[in-house]
Amino acid sequence: MSETEIPPRPAPVPTNFSQPFWDGAKEKKFMLQYCLDTGKYQFFPRPNSIHTGRRNTEWREASGDGTVYSFTVTRRAPPAFRGREPYVIGSIQLAEGPRMMAEIAGAKFEDLKIGAKVRITWEEVNEEYNYPVFELVE
Amino acid sequence: MAKKDIAIVGYHETKIDVNTGRSPFDFAGEVLDGLLDQTGLEKDAIDGFAVCSAMSGMSTPFWSVVVSDYLGMELNWCQQVDIGGSSPLGAVSRACSAIRDGQCEIVFVLGADSQSTANLSNARGWQPEFQNPVGLMGPPGAFGFISNRYDGVYGLDLTALARIAVAQRGHAVMNPNAFEKFRVPITEDDYLNSRMISDPVRLLDCVMPCDGGNGVIVMSTERAKALGMDKMVHPTGYGERNNHGVNDNNTDILESGHCVAGPKALAQAGMTVDDLDMFQPYDDFIIAVMLQMENIGFCERGQGAAFVKDTDLTHTGNLPLNTSGGQISAGQAGLAGGGTNLVEAVRQLMGEGGERQVAKASNAMVTGIGAIPYLRNWSCSTVMILEAG
Repeated sequence: MSETEIPPRPAPVPTNFSQPFWDGAKEKKFMLQYCLDTGKYQFFPRPNSIHTGRRNTEWREASGDGTVYSFTVTRRAPPAFRGREPYVIGSIQLAEGPRMMAEIAGAKFEDLKIGAKVRITWEEVNEEYNYPVFELVE
Repeated sequence: MAKKDIAIVGYHETKIDVNTGRSPFDFAGEVLDGLLDQTGLEKDAIDGFAVCSAMSGMSTPFWSVVVSDYLGMELNWCQQVDIGGSSPLGAVSRACSAIRDGQCEIVFVLGADSQSTANLSNARGWQPEFQNPVGLMGPPGAFGFISNRYDGVYGLDLTALARIAVAQRGHAVMNPNAFEKFRVPITEDDYLNSRMISDPVRLLDCVMPCDGGNGVIVMSTERAKALGMDKMVHPTGYGERNNHGVNDNNTDILESGHCVAGPKALAQAGMTVDDLDMFQPYDDFIIAVMLQMENIGFCERGQGAAFVKDTDLTHTGNLPLNTSGGQISAGQAGLAGGGTNLVEAVRQLMGEGGERQVAKASNAMVTGIGAIPYLRNWSCSTVMILEAG
């Protein structure tokens, strides 16, 4: 039997208040929610500012730069990801402050360490959605 | 002076097993029958009911009403507690408040879940669009982040974690209610060589999803004495912290809400960690036990491994740990799992631990851990001090 093809990453299912993230992703723009009262960003998208509880937020384009806060190597994957193992998932501390969970694509395990610099890139899931992944920066 | 006005007068748990084909209602019924047997109460004397949410029961939004209906209970106070694995302790604390407030007199606190038979839950209630397409292997992945961060900040001493795993497994061997397959001893090498799931989390770091049920009966101490109850355990301290660090972009993934809940519970009971006779912490992953030791204040942050190696954690040691095997070695009965730690503490304080009975058993610390959030430490942290009556 030939090696089976690895299915694409499952597509995200947006909510009304996260839609701007996916609209940006389609253009390969990395959009983050920003609290106008405190000047702080937040991730994942929320209906309100987690800093004030108010709805005084807007979307701003982010740099896409970050560092590795922590990481894990997935050896046994959820069913939709079987065949991709092993792969690295990072907790990425974004330059703007919040943390984001994402695959660190193509990373050699021995190069991974806390504080390693990473940058966003986009993986095309289907015609509608690009999904954020990160890669190590030399 | 700690309040001893509320008493736990009975406990019961079922055998823990996998793929039983039994519904959570059936486990609930077995627990109720066992509690009536042990306490001598009539079913209709129970007028309060607090049930932990269940992964196998999530298709009904009326969980507490439906379960108590199945059991034929007419009630003045009825609620579901949904702070994950923290729910059993949360339910006891809420029962204490309801009794003190006169809403009800005798409360049945229940956990019953058939997670391995039927898991109907969507346990990730937060933004699945930023989780599911990433491919994280659920809780082992989340604890992979915690473990690697710990390694980077303090250095992760796997031999200390192995020590915890071996001690708990030794206790499961003596627990007839533990999942039968786990009732064999393991060595530190067995732990270290077990299959990697999500680096550096190994198979023997993880709980096994199982089916089972457990529960306790709570009433005022005055009522218990009037009924002639001769064995009772008093909840004398309680702390709870939910969503610790949620609004802090720089939250420390190694800091759990136990750093708030632990000192609060101890202060209420008028104790320090040095006064504790045993430690029955929620254990979904081995490292969670060590992190709770650090966050509650048994030792400084980063000193968990040294503390573990300086402490005899067996049932005859100076700080007996999860003397029923904990959930990792007795099996995790879904969201009823936290009741495994609770029931064991009550059993020990009533002097009914059998061959694993702790010699000096005047008090115990029990904890809960509930829900795994997006990239933080766990969501819900509870700590309860129990004292023998």
